[in-house]
Amino acid sequence: MSKIKKEKKVRVVPIGMGILVFCVAFAAGMVSKFAITPSWSKEYSPAWSDEIGTLKTDIPYGDGEANLFDLYLPKDNTKEDYGLVVYLHAGGFTSGDKAGDREMLSWLCSKGYVAAGINYTLRTETNNASVLTQSNEIKTAIPEVIAAAKEAGYYIDKMTVAGGSAGHALAMIYAYRDGAEAPVPVVFTFGGVGPSSFYQEDWGIFGLDQSDEACAGLFSVMAGVEISPEEVADGSYLEKVKPIAAAEWVSTNPVPTVAAYGTHDKVQPYLASLRLKSALEENHVDFKYIEFPHSGHGLQNDGALSRQWMEAVDEYLDKYMPVK
Amino acid sequence: MSIHTKRIIILVAIAAVAFVLGRLAVRAVMNLLLGGTLFGGNFL
Repeated sequence: MSKIKKEKKVRVVPIGMGILVFCVAFAAGMVSKFAITPSWSKEYSPAWSDEIGTLKTDIPYGDGEANLFDLYLPKDNTKEDYGLVVYLHAGGFTSGDKAGDREMLSWLCSKGYVAAGINYTLRTETNNASVLTQSNEIKTAIPEVIAAAKEAGYYIDKMTVAGGSAGHALAMIYAYRDGAEAPVPVVFTFGGVGPSSFYQEDWGIFGLDQSDEACAGLFSVMAGVEISPEEVADGSYLEKVKPIAAAEWVSTNPVPTVAAYGTHDKVQPYLASLRLKSALEENHVDFKYIEFPHSGHGLQNDGALSRQWMEAVDEYLDKYMPVK
Repeated sequence: MSIHTKRIIILVAIAAVAFVLGRLAVRAVMNLLLGGTLFGGNFL
């Protein structure tokens, strides 16, 4: 009897209650990781409303099912001309949708720009879509976006092209490779974690540096051309991947750039981003390359640098495409 | 100190540790998928 009394005395917290509190708090901690966003980020992610402007969705630009774009037109339609910002969605070239960037596009529109999100044909198991065909679709879309804005009463005089991950890659390809042929000057490009070069030795994250066959396979799919293991071995594959390697085109159209990369990226190789940095330096481009030393492809572990990145984007937009 | 106060203190401590571990668990999973370090940067 006295023993039982003694046990009850020392058990201040019943085990069941302790486990319950642990589980609830653990789950709350997990949810909070997604639910709590830093206060500074709210400035860059306004909810879309009629107070910001007018949104026209799913405007076609080609024959493909995915060839659609959304146009965000600022409320003030009295200006003589406007800057256009095209933002291309992420998704590894195989998934994603322009609707996923609504906050970013709303922010750009709230700043007074005409903003556009463009869908492109995604790679599936049954089609031959590649980074090359996707980049060509974007090239086709831009004049249509500018024409649609003009039709709505917004004359475009210059543009910025941007994106995240796969969208960043396509944005850089347009800016550096196709920018000189754009209907209006491309004055700035920004984005994060987009693959910009395709050197076998850089792609160790997928083991491509160990296998010419694997390298030929992946680069063939991405470039939309047949690349053999022999071409990988002798280096001639580089000419075949050049059309999708943005870093190789910086000298063609050296556009001011803000880019962010994670040093631990497991999806696109960090080493490839260093080649972009070198190309920007060699071509004396006005650029900011922001390295996230604790993050991977999601730039997820360096909050202070995320803020620095968005402030740099804001600064370069004001510098190269000021809202009149 | 009453047993009630002790209980509250212990439960708050358990909750705080569990909350941090919950956030770290998400970070670990994200790092597994995307790459990244478990510590450093914005720690939580």
